[in-house]
Amino acid sequence: MVAGDVQGMVAGEEVLPSPQRVKKNKTLTRIWSFRYIYLFLIPALVWYLIFAYYPMYGILIAFKDFKYNLGILGSPWEGFRYFKQFLNDSSFYDVLRNTLSISALKLLFGFPAPLILALMLNTISNGKFKRMFQTISYLPHFVSWVVVVTLLQKILSPNVGLINDIREHMGLDPIFFMGNPNLFYPLVVLSDIWKGVGWGAIIYLAALTNIDPHLYEAAQIDGAGRWSMLFKITLPCLTPTIAILLIFSLSGILNAGFDQIYLMQTPATLNVSEILDTYVLKTGIQQGQFAYSTAIGLFKSVISLFLIIVVNNISKRLSDTSLW
Amino acid sequence: MGARRMSLPDRMYTTLNYALLLVFCLTALYPFVYFLALSFNDGYDAMKGGIYLFPRVFTLENYAKAFRNPLILNSFFISIARTAIVTVLSVLLTAMLAYALARKGLPGRKYIVFFFFFTTLFSGGLIPTFILYRQLHILDTFWVLVLPSLYNFFNAIVMKTFFDGIPAGLSESARIDGAGELSVFLRIILPLSMPVMATIALFVGVGCWNDWFTGQFFIQNENLQPAATFLNKMISEASFESMTSSNSGSAIQNMNQSQMELRGVTPEALRMTFVIIITTPIICIYPFLQKYFVKGVLVGSLKE
Repeated sequence: MVAGDVQGMVAGEEVLPSPQRVKKNKTLTRIWSFRYIYLFLIPALVWYLIFAYYPMYGILIAFKDFKYNLGILGSPWEGFRYFKQFLNDSSFYDVLRNTLSISALKLLFGFPAPLILALMLNTISNGKFKRMFQTISYLPHFVSWVVVVTLLQKILSPNVGLINDIREHMGLDPIFFMGNPNLFYPLVVLSDIWKGVGWGAIIYLAALTNIDPHLYEAAQIDGAGRWSMLFKITLPCLTPTIAILLIFSLSGILNAGFDQIYLMQTPATLNVSEILDTYVLKTGIQQGQFAYSTAIGLFKSVISLFLIIVVNNISKRLSDTSLW
Repeated sequence: MGARRMSLPDRMYTTLNYALLLVFCLTALYPFVYFLALSFNDGYDAMKGGIYLFPRVFTLENYAKAFRNPLILNSFFISIARTAIVTVLSVLLTAMLAYALARKGLPGRKYIVFFFFFTTLFSGGLIPTFILYRQLHILDTFWVLVLPSLYNFFNAIVMKTFFDGIPAGLSESARIDGAGELSVFLRIILPLSMPVMATIALFVGVGCWNDWFTGQFFIQNENLQPAATFLNKMISEASFESMTSSNSGSAIQNMNQSQMELRGVTPEALRMTFVIIITTPIICIYPFLQKYFVKGVLVGSLKE
């Protein structure tokens, strides 16, 4: 601000003193004084116009009978035909139900996991151990879902996988975990926790270090025990963090985790494992129904956008924390 | 605090806490140990089961075969090239963007931020993106592995927040001494920002290294397949072993042919080896950047 204003003022003195012109020219000179900064923005502007905004324009094909040779604008309009098509398609509701079920289960079981891990790590007074535990807990976050699913498939494989190998030694029959629709959700939730819990704990650990240690000292003098300090000091101090993370995960309810689900699903589990993102991919890229697939994708994006706006407003009111 | 004697319930609690955390860490580590043991074990011997911690019939043959297989080698070459190019370019470009956004008093900054930020809330989706790549003629070329990965606004925010923390006086005085924006950026801001650069390089690099999607759906040429995509084609083959599906790419069929000639190495053992090879670089790098990326996550999670 300082440099710009100084330069703007210096440049402004040269301008003739007609008040309106001064004001207008001042803005222009200010812009001019930042010209090199705008140059820094150009690569990003170009990239975002091409790779982010052009696809938004491409959404038009959801309302068109898209043909490559006619282009996006040239293809004939179809109106809401594709939206009606998926709203009348029973498999769409299965997909929606699966998406919401997986998200809800992840929220129910996966959301508290990082908080619990952070609380456990926080009680460790030995810094070396604490750091070691943390480092190890981040590891699964950094490996690809492809690797995680490979690990999972091998460990659960009916063909000398770890679990079935042990079951065999105990004289039990092998279980085909990945092909059993009843086991799909538990496996999704568990592997999601396994991969994300350490990373998710970072935020809580930081919030925990911000709690005033005097609170605990005072409580200890008053004879408070470990649990009453947890419920009367720690958790209340964490409530804003928890609330915000919770409502923002609610806004992502239509994202059930594309990579994970796509890689974990097998033909035997499709009934429970097909989610919006995988359905969009299959109808679009694999079956070539571009308009239909784009329409479903748009349906999802619009609802997600709406949810994030609502959630952001709630968060703003509750705690002054907001994305914008 | 450590000197105070703990009561019995406290001691029990502490022990239980350590025990549970230890179990958790073992769960996080063990799958990799299991795969490590299998990757150093003879493939046919491994089929008998019973290998949990250490190889039973030790062999380096799996690694030898993996590193001699032209398709595997090539996939790693593609991944390394892609990760290196994208990381360097992306860190530099993101820093330029963040530098501009961090400049106080930039006219129109609010609108410029919104222009970028909006793309994190709403996107064109898969098919319009696919059409864009097709119209740009980057499908099935190395470009599709590079260009779309160059920017991520989340990273720009992390960098901008770091730049905001650099005392403005430093660049002010340089400007008064006649330094241009470029030299302020290169000589003052960048050298002071190595921690955040390292963090973003890690995020971008890991993202590229782990991305299987681009290679799977936007690339057909098997000589352009990144390692993560290649691994995915190896696992889809595994999951289809006990299922009926004719859907397998040509890369996998070639793999099978080349594996027919191998002795002592099963496709399964090769898969375990591949997982270890693809994971090792990550395990070697991230622990050293821990203290930096933790800050990065905090900035990104609850922005300002």
